[in-house]
Amino acid sequence: MESALLRRIITGVVLAGLFLLPVFEPHQFVLHMLSLVAISATVALGLQLLLGFSGQLSIGQAAFYGIGAYASGLLSTKLGLPFPLAFLAAGLIAALTSLLMVPVTRLTGAYLAVATLGFSILVYLVLKNEEWLTGGSFGLMGIPRASLFGYVLAKPAYAYLLCVSVAALVYLSLLRLERSRFGRAINAIRQNEDAARACGVKVTLLKSQCFVIAAFVAGLGGSLYAHQVRYLAPTDFTFWKSVEILIMVVIGGMGSLFGAVLGAAVVVLLPEALREVGDYRMLVFGAILMAVMLFGESGLAGFLGQCLKPFSKR
Amino acid sequence: MYLADLFAAGLAIGCVYSLVALGFAMIIRATGIIHFAQGELLMLGSMSALSTLWLMPKLPAVLVLACGMIASGVLAVAMEFLVYRPLRLRRVPLMNVITATVGMSILCINAARIVWGSEPLRYPELFSSSTYRFFGVVVSPQLVWIMVFGVVLMGLLQLFLKRTRTGLVMQAVAQDAEVAQLMGANLTRMMIYTFAIAGMMAGAAGVMFGSLFFSFFEMGFVLGIKGFVAATLGGLGSLAGAMLGGILFGLIETFSAVYVSSAYKDAIGMVMLIAILLFLPSGLVGLWKARS
Repeated sequence: MESALLRRIITGVVLAGLFLLPVFEPHQFVLHMLSLVAISATVALGLQLLLGFSGQLSIGQAAFYGIGAYASGLLSTKLGLPFPLAFLAAGLIAALTSLLMVPVTRLTGAYLAVATLGFSILVYLVLKNEEWLTGGSFGLMGIPRASLFGYVLAKPAYAYLLCVSVAALVYLSLLRLERSRFGRAINAIRQNEDAARACGVKVTLLKSQCFVIAAFVAGLGGSLYAHQVRYLAPTDFTFWKSVEILIMVVIGGMGSLFGAVLGAAVVVLLPEALREVGDYRMLVFGAILMAVMLFGESGLAGFLGQCLKPFSKR
Repeated sequence: MYLADLFAAGLAIGCVYSLVALGFAMIIRATGIIHFAQGELLMLGSMSALSTLWLMPKLPAVLVLACGMIASGVLAVAMEFLVYRPLRLRRVPLMNVITATVGMSILCINAARIVWGSEPLRYPELFSSSTYRFFGVVVSPQLVWIMVFGVVLMGLLQLFLKRTRTGLVMQAVAQDAEVAQLMGANLTRMMIYTFAIAGMMAGAAGVMFGSLFFSFFEMGFVLGIKGFVAATLGGLGSLAGAMLGGILFGLIETFSAVYVSSAYKDAIGMVMLIAILLFLPSGLVGLWKARS
């Protein structure tokens, strides 16, 4: 079997499985956790585009995630905007804010990482201190559930389906993007920026586009989070969140969209599965981060790829 | 009167930033790595010194400082030896080494939380509690001693780098590793020295900061970033720039916390960081070089 076909079949089966899951009426808590996985996966997919495809390390995705969440929460509580509009607005506002930061994409490597980290801390301080807008440390309460065309998605199963659909949509769009001219160009940038520029690739433009797209996707994820959990506190969007999103991408495997989803599942579900190790969770993740860097960057996705190899021929 | 107090406080916290910035600058010069775990070295030094104080409450301040420095120095060498060196030997891209230092930082923070708990820990009085008077200005002894220790440490480091053979070899390795190696410099050993010194500077900063405020498992993260801001302000990779940048940043932060906004005290550093990286990437040293 060809490996591309095999991959397509697996993607289809997994997606079908995820969409059919509510039929078996799993426990409410399971659905809630899986919704959170889908939300995290959405944000991680955005970072995968930025880090895995174009090679820009951002430790500030929580900033855009938080901006999206608060934008959506505020628009629906204070202005009473319906969910689909608030959802899109959250993405757009996050993307617009990222435009402010676009000049930093001129920075290379670790300098970009530090600048985005600084921005993430800045956004956290604003969320915490601007009480008139965000409710400060008390947080933002009473965010309505997501609704579609006047129909409130009150059942956890419906909310789950919404989150999974958004994640799947982002996944498939980024998959298309990866194989487009744009995807090939940013891949070239990641491998050798100077060579790419010499070949006529508009490096600065493409890098900033990746940055804005990643922020847009993070904003969408934030909106889903706001309406899923229905309570926002600034502490949800500290630099730890940024680091967590980075860990998802790195554990899953840099450069693999499927890896980002897998990484999100591991980071969100592992602490629930191993309650006793709760305190050691980040300790373990820190060690894994170093180990992945040491033993190759392909992560979990690379490992799975190795396992599937015997079944596919080139 | 009030201005003088603020100035002293700014200088003291500036010394702390200078020491952290020096560590960043030394590691960047030698390896090109932005060492995200530098702040955690500071935190671990501070915690270790505090634990020693619990065991031996009568220890003089100088020895407490030495304890923190030794603990952080040893830890920094361990990091280099166990993680960063294997990474370099595998010829992993620099970006991945830096990501690994983020992992190291997470590991250290959470290990510290398990060992020392998540409550802020107060230092006992390290210095005599009677205040000093300079030209009619009353200054707390904490601030005076921190400045004295800070300046002495930085002076010693300069002497070591400029006057001893090992120091000169380290400078040579930082400038051009390959040529220095051809001339017979032992690269591995110099890397270990670099990390040891960077760790010791961070440890000293940790004890100083702890004695001013408190020790806390997450203290290293923000302090580390601020040290990095100081290093970029001075000019990344320049030792003189790191010292100058630290003291300047300490003053800017202290004054703007009072005159601009105390809630956004940490934000000032972050705005400065982004602005410097964008508009003045070579820092104050670069500005000065361009003038002359």
